[in-house]
Amino acid sequence: MRHPTRWIALGIAVVVLLFGIVLATRVGDDPQAEASKSQLLDDPVPEFSVRTSDGTALSSADLHGRVVIVNFWNSWCLPCRDELPALKVFFDRHADDPEFLMLGIVRDDTVKAARAFVRERGIDWTIGFDQESVAALAFGTRGQPETFAVTADGVIVGYQYGPSTVADLERLFARARQGSA
Amino acid sequence: MKAELGRFALIVGMVGSGAGVLCLATGLRRHDDRLLRLGRRYVFTVLIAAVLAVLAMEWALLSHDFSIRYVAENNARSTPTLFTITGLWSALEGSILLWLLVLGGYLAFAAHKFRSRANDPLVAWALLVGLCVALFFFLLTLLPANPFETLAVTPADGRGPNALLQNHPLMAFHPPMLYLGYVGFTIPFSFAVAALITGRFGEGWLADTRRATLIAWGFLSVGIILGAWWSYEVLGWGGYWAWDPVENASLLPWLTGTAFIHSVIVQERRGMLRVWNLSLVIATFCLTILGTFLTRSGVLNSVHSFTESPIGPWLLVFLALTAATGIGLIAWRGDRLRAPGRIDSPVSRESAFLGNNLLFAGLAFVVLLGTVYPLLAEALQDRRLSVGEPYFDRMATPLGVALLFLMSLAPALPWRATTSAVLRDRLLIPAWCGALGMIVAIALGAHGFTDVVVFGLAAFALAGIARQFALGTRAHHASSGAAWPRALGMTVRSNPRLYGGLVVHVGVVLIAVALAASSGYATRREVRLARGESATVAGYRVTYLGATTSRTGQNTRVSARVRIERGDHVLGVYAPAIKSFPGASGGIGTPSVRTGLLRDVYLTLISSPNERGRVTIGVAINPMILWLWVGGLTIGLGTLVALAPSARRLRRGRPVPTGQPGPSPEQPRALEKVHA
Amino acid sequence: MSARGGLPWVLLAAVVIVAIAWAAWPDDARVSVAARAHDLAAELRCPDCEALSVAESSTPTARAIRRDLKRRIAAGQSDAQIRQAYVDAYDETILLEPEGSGLGVLVWGLPVVVLVLGAGGLAFALRRWKREPRLHATDADEQLVAKTREVDER
Repeated sequence: MRHPTRWIALGIAVVVLLFGIVLATRVGDDPQAEASKSQLLDDPVPEFSVRTSDGTALSSADLHGRVVIVNFWNSWCLPCRDELPALKVFFDRHADDPEFLMLGIVRDDTVKAARAFVRERGIDWTIGFDQESVAALAFGTRGQPETFAVTADGVIVGYQYGPSTVADLERLFARARQGSA
Repeated sequence: MKAELGRFALIVGMVGSGAGVLCLATGLRRHDDRLLRLGRRYVFTVLIAAVLAVLAMEWALLSHDFSIRYVAENNARSTPTLFTITGLWSALEGSILLWLLVLGGYLAFAAHKFRSRANDPLVAWALLVGLCVALFFFLLTLLPANPFETLAVTPADGRGPNALLQNHPLMAFHPPMLYLGYVGFTIPFSFAVAALITGRFGEGWLADTRRATLIAWGFLSVGIILGAWWSYEVLGWGGYWAWDPVENASLLPWLTGTAFIHSVIVQERRGMLRVWNLSLVIATFCLTILGTFLTRSGVLNSVHSFTESPIGPWLLVFLALTAATGIGLIAWRGDRLRAPGRIDSPVSRESAFLGNNLLFAGLAFVVLLGTVYPLLAEALQDRRLSVGEPYFDRMATPLGVALLFLMSLAPALPWRATTSAVLRDRLLIPAWCGALGMIVAIALGAHGFTDVVVFGLAAFALAGIARQFALGTRAHHASSGAAWPRALGMTVRSNPRLYGGLVVHVGVVLIAVALAASSGYATRREVRLARGESATVAGYRVTYLGATTSRTGQNTRVSARVRIERGDHVLGVYAPAIKSFPGASGGIGTPSVRTGLLRDVYLTLISSPNERGRVTIGVAINPMILWLWVGGLTIGLGTLVALAPSARRLRRGRPVPTGQPGPSPEQPRALEKVHA
Repeated sequence: MSARGGLPWVLLAAVVIVAIAWAAWPDDARVSVAARAHDLAAELRCPDCEALSVAESSTPTARAIRRDLKRRIAAGQSDAQIRQAYVDAYDETILLEPEGSGLGVLVWGLPVVVLVLGAGGLAFALRRWKREPRLHATDADEQLVAKTREVDER
């Protein structure tokens, strides 16, 4: 084979070209958009159990039959404080709906601080304490606030990473309501 | 005023480099010496333009001129002076200015060094290529990444630099040192392309660029180690190397660059491995551009997360052009590049260097593959996955160990061929030292195949190096009767390249030992302590003395005072801290490290005092970390020694004729005219 | 190589092999719960930081995961089950080492292939060089030598 150097160079050129094409397709990707996806979308809600403020245990089985908005938060997280008014407005709108449950799971916080926060801010919805972060890990959370929408059949259909507005919450609720039919 | 000055300087630079390119191209085509000499002068306009632009930016930074967008985004009135000055390279647009400054400096140095050969086509083509690179970077500053872009409304105060960058004065040194390394490789690259174009791919271009290559390599090595030091001492996650895409981007050109500086020795001695050398230096330059692309385009997430910028496509196109030019030239010259020499024996220094090339190329391939693999997976299968430390460690370690073995072996191997008697003379005692080293290491607690082999090879290598120094010193002592220390100095001065290289190898051995010791034998624990309480970790007792909170401007800093003791010896009071900035959600931890000769005590404050006054402190006992930095210093020192002019060269007063590596400039042209 | 000349090397090799075997002998104490948890933690990416492993990170999520790993190991789950559980909750990027299946074969296999090819190429080239005769003088070489002789004789 004459000029093996040429053939090797050609081979390398092909590889480099393919490589360049791959790189070119990735330029212009938005890494931020990736953060708003959850692996659990369209999956059944994972098994978990949290202790509520009155000491009873609340597990994933107890959610069945109702549309649930699960919101992970804690008392020292600033964006959680930012979204609190929106959560309250949203909750007040749907509080009387018997087929709706709003569950706020406290992750990575002391029970004392969380209770104090709930008292101070007048939070009326169900609060669950996840001291061992079992629920937080099962839901694949990375921080807080993170909000999930669950249908009455127990399927996760909506996800919001970061603080939500009332519109975001209504959108999640509508999707969960739709999926429950 | 400053923005106009800066923009003007950049335009002058762009026009100057463009004019230089045209001038040199025309001069080369018409064999017009006057044009070639004129073209050379344009290199100096590039330098002056870059200097002016940098000065304009520094002036803007120091005067807090927030009408310029770059200053508004990377500086604030409260920023300390040192970080204001280093703000030049804390973000993309400014760092291109730094790149241009360094490039201008290197090109001017080359233009000055070869001023007597301005009409030599090799030099002219090399300067032309260098000016093309400069032209590209000037274009970047004028279009997608304009550092002097002004804002319509001047804000009252700037945003200030990234919090992480304000933490430590070392930020002043790490990027410029890296850039002095990266950009330096433009010189051998330009000469390699010139050699391919002019057909003079003998040893001339190697001799011309030897010093520049070594300087660039030295800076890059020290820059990488400084980055590791910064990672360890400042960033606070407890390690020094995370195989992060940006770290890998700096490692890749270092790998091919190291292969290159070794492989050129073979070409100088025996004219072989020409294709390897040309390929390695072109690859090194392409990898510096690729590294910049990976870092700045936002294509990969990393600890050094920079916001995505529009220069991605530009860099990619430039990379494609450079790679195409390099590969195309090599393919064009084809097998005419091949030297007539052959490797005579598998056990010879030539084959050791060839093996060296293969291993370094393999290592570079592994690092590159792991770094871009997430991109590949996303492009081909729309899967998101990550490739982290476990992969790189597993892949790179065997290659690294093999390289360590070659490094110990090769300096003792003769050229061409050898007999077993020669090998025994040179290698047996160092090999026994290696075995002894293994046994000592096991006795001290080493376990695991890799670690023990590394410690053994380290002892083997050090013994071999000591032997070389001893032989040389003894010969000089015997022949000149000088005292031992002076004989040592004479030995080093007789062949600074060899002995400087051996000193660098000592540094590498120290780093290898430190890497093995610190990764396998560290102890990490988190302890929760109330005030006055102690905990013991691996023989060190840490006592929490109390916390202090301080506020500077909008930042809150909580630091915990911790006393460290060992036995009844108080080692001192250290203060890990957390600094929280109003904009960021988390706090930035500052570790506190007690550096010891054999072990470091590494303290981090994980959580500030809770309502009961307890803090959580991370305590890590890391062995041998100091030797990473000592190894880095040794590498720098060895590079300086290797750069020193040889005593023989100085004594004769003029370049030494053939017989020495690096023939004088006139001869290759005569010889190569016959063969070309 | 004569028998006497080879003896020191054989001895050396023996010492080295024994030392390595001694050091590399798997230590039973290392397969404790803590060690398994640590190894698994080193393979998982900490979800709320960039590219650090769970073993290295001190964020709350990382510490929660470390506790969770210990719980799962104590409950008898295998390494594969634990990894799968995390991939289900997060996504594949939680693993720092790509799986060996599918596209993962590339990232593990390619380097090996490249190295084998390289080593093979080297061996092949060395063997070919040994067999081929040394340089042949070309006409240009003969002319050059003749010209030099003329200059010398003048």
